[in-house]
Amino acid sequence: MPGMPREIKKVAVIGSGVMGAAIAAHMTNAGLPVVLLDIVAKDANDRSAIAKGAVAKLLKTEPAPFMSPRNAKLVTPGNLEDDLNLLADCDWIVEAIIENVKIKHDLYARLETVRKAGSIVTSNTSTIPLKNLIEGRSEAFRRDFAITHFFNPPRYMRLLELVSGEETAAYVTETLARFCDVQLGKGVVRCHDTPGFIANRIGMMWMQAGLNTAEESGLTVEEADAVAGKVMGFPSTGLFGLFDLVGIDLMPHVSSSMASSLPETDPYRGQLRDSPIITKLIETGYTGRKGKGGFYRMTKNGAARLKEAVDLKTGEYHAVKQVSIASLDAALADRKTGLKTLLSGTDAGARFAWGMLAPTFAYAADLVGEIADTLVEVDEAMKFGYGWKFGPFELMDQIGTAWLAEQYRARGLAIPKLLGSAAGRNFYRVENGQLQFLGLDGGYHDVVRAEGVLLLADIKRRSQPLAKNGSASLWDIGDGVVCLEFQSKANSLDPDIMDMIGKALALIGVGKGDWKALVIGNDADNFSVGANLGLVMFAVNIAGYGQLEEMIGTGQQIYKALKYAPFPVVSAPAGRALGGGCEITLHSAAVQAHAETYLGLVEVGVGVIPGWGGCKELLARQLVNPKLPKGPIPAVAATFQTISTAQVSKSAAEAKDLMYLRETDGISMNRDRLLADAKGRALTLAQDYTPPKPTEFHLPGATGKTALNMAVHDFVTAGKATQYDVVVADALATVLTGGDIDYADTLSEDDISALERKAFIALLKNDGTIARIEQMLTTGKPLRN
Amino acid sequence: MPTYTAPLDNFRFVLNDVLQVGDVFARLGLTEATPDLLDAVIEEAGKFCENEIQPLNLSGDTDGCTFENGVVRTPKGFKEAYDKFREGGWIGLTADPAYGGQGLPHTVSSVLDEMVSAANTSFGMYPGLSGGAYRAISQHGSQEQKDLYLPQLTDGIWSGTMCLTEPQCGTDLGLIRTKAVPDGDGTYKVTGTKIFISAGEHDLTENIIHLVLARLPEAPAGIRGISLFIVPKFLPRAENGATVAGPRNAIACGSIEHKMGIRASSTCVMNLDDATGWLIGEPNKGMRAMFTMMNAARLGVAIQGLGLAEVAYQNALAYAKDRIQGRALTGAQALDKAADPIIVHPDVRKNLLTVKSFVEGARALGLWVSLQLDIEEHATDPKEREAANDLLALMTPILKSYFTDAGFEATNTSMQVWGGHGYIHENGVEQFVRDARITQIYEGANGVQALDLVGRKLPANMGRSLRRFFHPVAHFLEENQTDAELGEFVSPLAKAFGKLQQATGFIAQKGLVNPNEAAAASSSYLRMFALVAIGFMWARMAKVAKARAAESGVRAAFYDSKVKTARFFMTKILPETEQHFRAIMAGAKPLMDFGVEEF
Repeated sequence: MPGMPREIKKVAVIGSGVMGAAIAAHMTNAGLPVVLLDIVAKDANDRSAIAKGAVAKLLKTEPAPFMSPRNAKLVTPGNLEDDLNLLADCDWIVEAIIENVKIKHDLYARLETVRKAGSIVTSNTSTIPLKNLIEGRSEAFRRDFAITHFFNPPRYMRLLELVSGEETAAYVTETLARFCDVQLGKGVVRCHDTPGFIANRIGMMWMQAGLNTAEESGLTVEEADAVAGKVMGFPSTGLFGLFDLVGIDLMPHVSSSMASSLPETDPYRGQLRDSPIITKLIETGYTGRKGKGGFYRMTKNGAARLKEAVDLKTGEYHAVKQVSIASLDAALADRKTGLKTLLSGTDAGARFAWGMLAPTFAYAADLVGEIADTLVEVDEAMKFGYGWKFGPFELMDQIGTAWLAEQYRARGLAIPKLLGSAAGRNFYRVENGQLQFLGLDGGYHDVVRAEGVLLLADIKRRSQPLAKNGSASLWDIGDGVVCLEFQSKANSLDPDIMDMIGKALALIGVGKGDWKALVIGNDADNFSVGANLGLVMFAVNIAGYGQLEEMIGTGQQIYKALKYAPFPVVSAPAGRALGGGCEITLHSAAVQAHAETYLGLVEVGVGVIPGWGGCKELLARQLVNPKLPKGPIPAVAATFQTISTAQVSKSAAEAKDLMYLRETDGISMNRDRLLADAKGRALTLAQDYTPPKPTEFHLPGATGKTALNMAVHDFVTAGKATQYDVVVADALATVLTGGDIDYADTLSEDDISALERKAFIALLKNDGTIARIEQMLTTGKPLRN
Repeated sequence: MPTYTAPLDNFRFVLNDVLQVGDVFARLGLTEATPDLLDAVIEEAGKFCENEIQPLNLSGDTDGCTFENGVVRTPKGFKEAYDKFREGGWIGLTADPAYGGQGLPHTVSSVLDEMVSAANTSFGMYPGLSGGAYRAISQHGSQEQKDLYLPQLTDGIWSGTMCLTEPQCGTDLGLIRTKAVPDGDGTYKVTGTKIFISAGEHDLTENIIHLVLARLPEAPAGIRGISLFIVPKFLPRAENGATVAGPRNAIACGSIEHKMGIRASSTCVMNLDDATGWLIGEPNKGMRAMFTMMNAARLGVAIQGLGLAEVAYQNALAYAKDRIQGRALTGAQALDKAADPIIVHPDVRKNLLTVKSFVEGARALGLWVSLQLDIEEHATDPKEREAANDLLALMTPILKSYFTDAGFEATNTSMQVWGGHGYIHENGVEQFVRDARITQIYEGANGVQALDLVGRKLPANMGRSLRRFFHPVAHFLEENQTDAELGEFVSPLAKAFGKLQQATGFIAQKGLVNPNEAAAASSSYLRMFALVAIGFMWARMAKVAKARAAESGVRAAFYDSKVKTARFFMTKILPETEQHFRAIMAGAKPLMDFGVEEF
């Protein structure tokens, strides 16, 4: 079975630098034991001090490379002289050492002596061609060798460039592709063995062209970044922010090394030039965010922090100004054809946009075939690796290929080959509900998803929603499973979403007809950021407390109906699932979470408490938490601690520690597999489903509340809680301890819901809560009043 | 001949008993604005209005302004009255003492404005426009411009105008064509035609300071390309250390309009032909400067509507007591006379009380809103200033639109009491109707005010401005909900308020999806809002009046009348909110369904 993937159960990473260590950490996130080796530390008592130090450092790094600090225990650090034998039972050895071919060769020679037959060896090189790396190696080694190029930081950047050589065995490529996809959650893009592979090859061109034209256009740094921003779907760092993030001092080195490995006639060489401003910034120590600043720097003026940007000509810093560029303003006002509007302008903003994008598009179009099989890989690499919302070909489709080709022609530039052969057709099209791309042969071919990948985007191409309103839709995702998708701004929860949940419940009925189960999930960055605060604020502003109470009551009833539905409801959160979004998952029969899910009951941040059953459900879980001492008080205290500090999990794994997820809830590493996994979970549950039994609460009442409030006052004394925190915490404590009851009373779920409602509305009448909500709405940051 | 008596007791009641402005001013550090001083100022102003300008009202209407050879003459007696008004320091009542003003609270100036409008609306136009120019220059002008113009405007020896409208643009100022070209020496050459310019030319002052909206060369198209310029009739010149009117500038009156009302106010076509102007504020930011003028001006127009309603009411009441015709339906009342005075008739009473309850309720509301001008200017807490500004912003379109719509209706209803005699010019009451009609139109037509309310004020900051009104009302309702004595006022207010909340939520939600929905509801919503706001003031007044009535023997009748008027409003007027509510909830479809050819 030469092409069949094999299992990877143990991994080794050689080289514990920034990348190596973080790759090792991410292997543990997939639950695998990892050997992490580095050279012997000079003059240290512990010969493995370097690798051990790297693990210690990983635990302090932000954003955290480990999804749970516990994962550090899965790493076995060692050194390359004493511990080489640890590699003997590893299924995959990743080399992530210095980019020096000689040193790599020496290491590979030593690996040949210890690695087990059939184990896979890969390099994380970003610059050295595979064919050079395998020089002098055995045939077996050459067969088992590939390049796996991770992007920094490996836990968070989705791109993994996978390069196999002519001699690489098919099972090696397939094993890596599958493992990195399913277990590491990477967006695996297969590249050819060419310099810089895909992402850095195109990305470097983009940055260089952007730098060159920014200097020529006369735009300020902040203006250039505004243009190279939202309208192009580039990350909020823009161009110069990205230079600062990557490290400006790295740029000359990386670009000259890239250029030297490219042919004389490569267009990148044509763009490459010395930049006086880069030289000056490096000379003066402005190397980027890791230094004292770069194109941007923060200065302090008393308590106020001021963001400044450098003048590209003079090198002097000025306060960042509000950007207003006619072409950009026009583009931003025009959602549909914004980018074309921008490029059609005549001002400096439009010139910069063209100067940056035209060479980048041309480069990408002309390299398809050389660096990758199809344009799909190029788009994916830029999206996964550079955080672009759209790949270069998707952007060209937005602009219009005919118009764009005409622009190249009119401006005296060669029309990129692939763009010319598109002849006005789009690079992508949808045919009979199937997404297709334009191949080098001039025909369209299906974009094929890996098995186990289910995207709402694909379902939408081939079907109509079962129901739809302004904020949510219901989709048939096959096999009798309905998917409820949120579509409001930031997926905030509003009356339309509540309506749609009701519709889903009615549609599925008892779950014995056409429909068996409900999955709640979406393709967006965030599952849901919680209730629509703007609506809440508006209702508060018109003193609409009756309407608000009704809104809370409706939500409670709808969530309760979800929990006790006669069919399974599986939530599939990814990204942020906060407040009301978190409460939906708490009411689900099961959760299938993406590994990068940030769950939290964060209501206290805006001066309220969870009102849609969040207090009730988390408390119910803590009451049966086997890790807590018996009796209600520890459970109440634990719940109070989590909610009163608005704890948000930094991963799905951590959400289990916080009890936002149950041990039985599933985690998907790959975002694209989440929906299919959730659907599978739902179908399994549906086979023999009975709804849960309601919880009865025995709570401590006023005495318990006194204890909680004392703890809060200690926090105030210690300066960890504010005056208004005390008010909010008091309301929370009332709910969690059962309100005004005797110790012997038994409370139902509805009783707790009533307490939640009462506390919620009472808090909304306070100026402190109003101020918190207002600040959150205007600045996006919590107010600590 | 119509008469006017300044309603001093009513002012005192609102200022002292209801709003307790003395405490507010003391808190704001306006230590000189003691209740005694304010009372004296108001009394004096009342006398002036009664004795000096009211007698010119009817003759001013009859004679009108005249235009001859580019010169505009105001009606007989206006110049003398203006000089007395100026010498009395009334023009600079609220102006900065640094420029010769009296620095008194804006609330007091609102009282003055009402009395001036009631006595002689046309006369009030001249100082009113100067006030707008003063505000624009003091808030957006350079120090040099302030030093040059503010003392003269404060004194009233110079007057001001606002030159916005052009033949092709009224509501949409983005269409302005008047050009301003830099002259190289810091001045601009301004060329164009402005129409409907109130007080654009007249014989009351030595100089006229025009504030002119114009477009700079290469300014962006539309509203973002408008700049504001100072274009004086005579270029200011220093003479013996004083500023005087110098050479004539190239801005001239081409003609005056012949109008339905306010005929003693000159309404001019102004031609600018390379007139020398100075930029005020930043280039292309003229609309911002203009809006500070306009907000105050809109409140001023609202007060005009109120003042006209008051004077119309006074004359209708006098006539209803005096005119005998027929007998009361339940039996004769004035046995010594051939017939009963018509005030015995329920429908006449309804007419009178409709106007009375509007005037007194709107007066309280207007002064509550005017008080925000003082809070906004003097409060030390920025949050308090913000709240005051929010309430002002929210209530300005409501007051402008409702006070002038209801004010016009009030003059009309009052005229009705007069029967056929009301239709006769010499009796002076049809003039109130004609004078009131313009207030619904100028300074932003009332339909545009309603759009401003639902399109800008309602959604701004997630409805923050609304809070400044809804929370005090909710608080009042909560505080008094158990007071059985007040139940007859609190409970209808609570009901109407609940409907207003519902309508507000409905418009906010529908308007987000389709702006036509908000626009279709806008004028009904504005009226509903205004009625609830006036209802709120009536409930407050009833509460205060009940408390006061018990403790004051002599004035018990005054307070009793307040309670009864409150009762009339709650039972006979406030229910109009129901009708508006239903119309709002019917949505935009009944309007938008029509194809243009189907009308």
